[in-house]
Amino acid sequence: MAVADLQWAAAIYLIACLVSATGLVLRSRRLARAAVWLLGAGAVLHGLSVPLLHAQGAAPPLTSLSAAASFMAWVGTLCFLGSLLRVRVLGLVVLVAPAAFLGVFAAAMWLPAAGPASFGGSGSWPHAHVLLASAGLALLGLAGLASVLYLVEHHRLKAKAVTRRPFPLPSLEALDRVNATALAAGFTLLTLGVATGMLWMRAVSGRPFGGTAHEMGSLLAWAIYAVLAGLRFGGRQGSRQAAAAAVIAFGFLFFAVIGVELLA
Amino acid sequence: MKILLVGMSHRTAPLAVRERLAVDDPEPQLRKLVTSDEIDEAVLLSTCNRIELVALTRNLDAARMRLQAFFRFELGGGDARPAAADLDAYLYEHTGSDAMRHVLRVASSLDSMVVGEPQILGQTKDAYRAAVDCGACGPILGRLFQHAFATAKRVRTETQVAARPVSVARVAVDLAEQIFENLADKRALLIGAGEMTEAALSALRERGLASVAIANRSPERAEPLAARFGARAHGLSELPRLLAEADVVLTSIAGDVPLLTPGLVSAALAGRKSRPLFVIDIGVPRNADPALDQLDNVYLYDLDDLCAIADLNAAERSRDVAKAEAIVEEQQQRFDGWLAALRAVPTIRHLRERAESLRAEEVERTLAKLPALEAQRAAVDALTRSLVNKILHAPVSRLRREAEREEGIVYLETARVLFALDEGAEVQDGTDGADPTDGT
Repeated sequence: MAVADLQWAAAIYLIACLVSATGLVLRSRRLARAAVWLLGAGAVLHGLSVPLLHAQGAAPPLTSLSAAASFMAWVGTLCFLGSLLRVRVLGLVVLVAPAAFLGVFAAAMWLPAAGPASFGGSGSWPHAHVLLASAGLALLGLAGLASVLYLVEHHRLKAKAVTRRPFPLPSLEALDRVNATALAAGFTLLTLGVATGMLWMRAVSGRPFGGTAHEMGSLLAWAIYAVLAGLRFGGRQGSRQAAAAAVIAFGFLFFAVIGVELLA
Repeated sequence: MKILLVGMSHRTAPLAVRERLAVDDPEPQLRKLVTSDEIDEAVLLSTCNRIELVALTRNLDAARMRLQAFFRFELGGGDARPAAADLDAYLYEHTGSDAMRHVLRVASSLDSMVVGEPQILGQTKDAYRAAVDCGACGPILGRLFQHAFATAKRVRTETQVAARPVSVARVAVDLAEQIFENLADKRALLIGAGEMTEAALSALRERGLASVAIANRSPERAEPLAARFGARAHGLSELPRLLAEADVVLTSIAGDVPLLTPGLVSAALAGRKSRPLFVIDIGVPRNADPALDQLDNVYLYDLDDLCAIADLNAAERSRDVAKAEAIVEEQQQRFDGWLAALRAVPTIRHLRERAESLRAEEVERTLAKLPALEAQRAAVDALTRSLVNKILHAPVSRLRREAEREEGIVYLETARVLFALDEGAEVQDGTDGADPTDGT
């Protein structure tokens, strides 16, 4: 049932992707709006699968890579939809919809069957760690996506390659706001995720740090984000540098958390 | 019934003539017009670019003379009015389908000086409202104008005619909206003055730009301009501070060397965190050093850049105009069909009245013979009415469809003969303005 929900959500996200891409090509504001509505519908269905997965499995929810990827996609989508209430970033749907689709598609295709719990004695730390880290990753991913669009728009405006396009690509200022807000919230959640991860490790092995590639990469990514947040909110970084840094930092974080697991 | 349109626009008459005939309050003129025998309905559209009178008439020649007299003697005042002979050269006239098409084109901004400009739709709506308020606009012109508004909406949503700015001022606004999320909390700095910078500033103000500062070599000379925009005038010595506060800089000041240098602007940017600065340089020679464009967060557009975008938009817009014209043509044919279908209204009404009177007669006769049925009168009424409606449904629908075509008159005549509608009844020869979709 949960997997079926995920498959339906993936299908709706895919349609949202296609609609937003068509809107971009046809320069249609209506299609951009339609894509956002579809994304919202997909998010509702996607949201239903989270408690269903939790109810079905003996293993703690989200502790598999694909379930965590699906959860990240869901949180990222919700944050994007929420940001639309405050910031005019409708056009960001052209990047958010594909990201949401890929996250859910991965979960729907490779979600493992529920198995016995392997986290005995660790209490709620696995839940807390995965929830916080995944949500942090989702927000930092959203900052990365906004930054990609910022860099494209910045380049277009600098190159004077500007004609009026009714497709509502967001303004630089709006993208910068999304980047800054998502960075602040995402870094906070990531910090909590790293802290709960250490507590989890200590509960399992008695040591807060096991020295695995995942832990090393995550800590390094956290340090990079700490510097980035310091520069950004200390007023020592322009919007373009902040956008470029957000894209590079997210690339590294994604590799450290997901890529390392895939390679293992 | 014929639709007649007489008017003058920026295409046929110079501004000096148009401004002398412009009408602020059309209602008294319209009231006078529709009380005359020649005009049944009228709408007067008066903007800075056109003065047009759309009228519905049963006597085209008389109405034509009446509207010409209206332009010659009733519009404008006294000596300011152009001589009648001169005026004829500026006037144009459209009748029937051409008049309808013209109204649709005007509302869709296809006949505007700047094609796609949005104001004309609002002005047309105002003209329509004024005519409705004073009782000059009846069901047919009312329907025409509603149809024109729907056409304008289709043109705006299905084409990009209105989306691409083709003036330097509009291009500047458009760029500002691609940089800033909201202009309402932004501050503009106008350096010097010029027609184009003022137009750009006005356009930015229309989009909600919050505040303006004006810097000039001699602040006293900038005072009148500052007063017009509700701004303060400053000397150029205050430029570093004003630049640090500004989000949009519009510059057009005489000078051989660039006024805005990378050093000056970099210093202004230092305290702004990551706030972008949009510089619109309309000065010739340029007021801003092109090296400014290398600075992060500075978006510099000079006159050539703006004109290049405007030209590109104009080229794209001309492609959209063809699409918009096709929409207008389709909508005009639809309205033509509706207008033609009005011919069927008297026949259909007559047919229904005839059938209803026969039905009522037969019911009365039957109930008189069968008093036991009196208790079921309501059921008998409903049954017979339903039968009549079902029998008439097909011929009435067909009549309505056929009436939209030129040769539909044959069907109307045939129906009148077959159902003996002209026997003992006075034939109605015109439309009464009823909607042809009534009475189904």
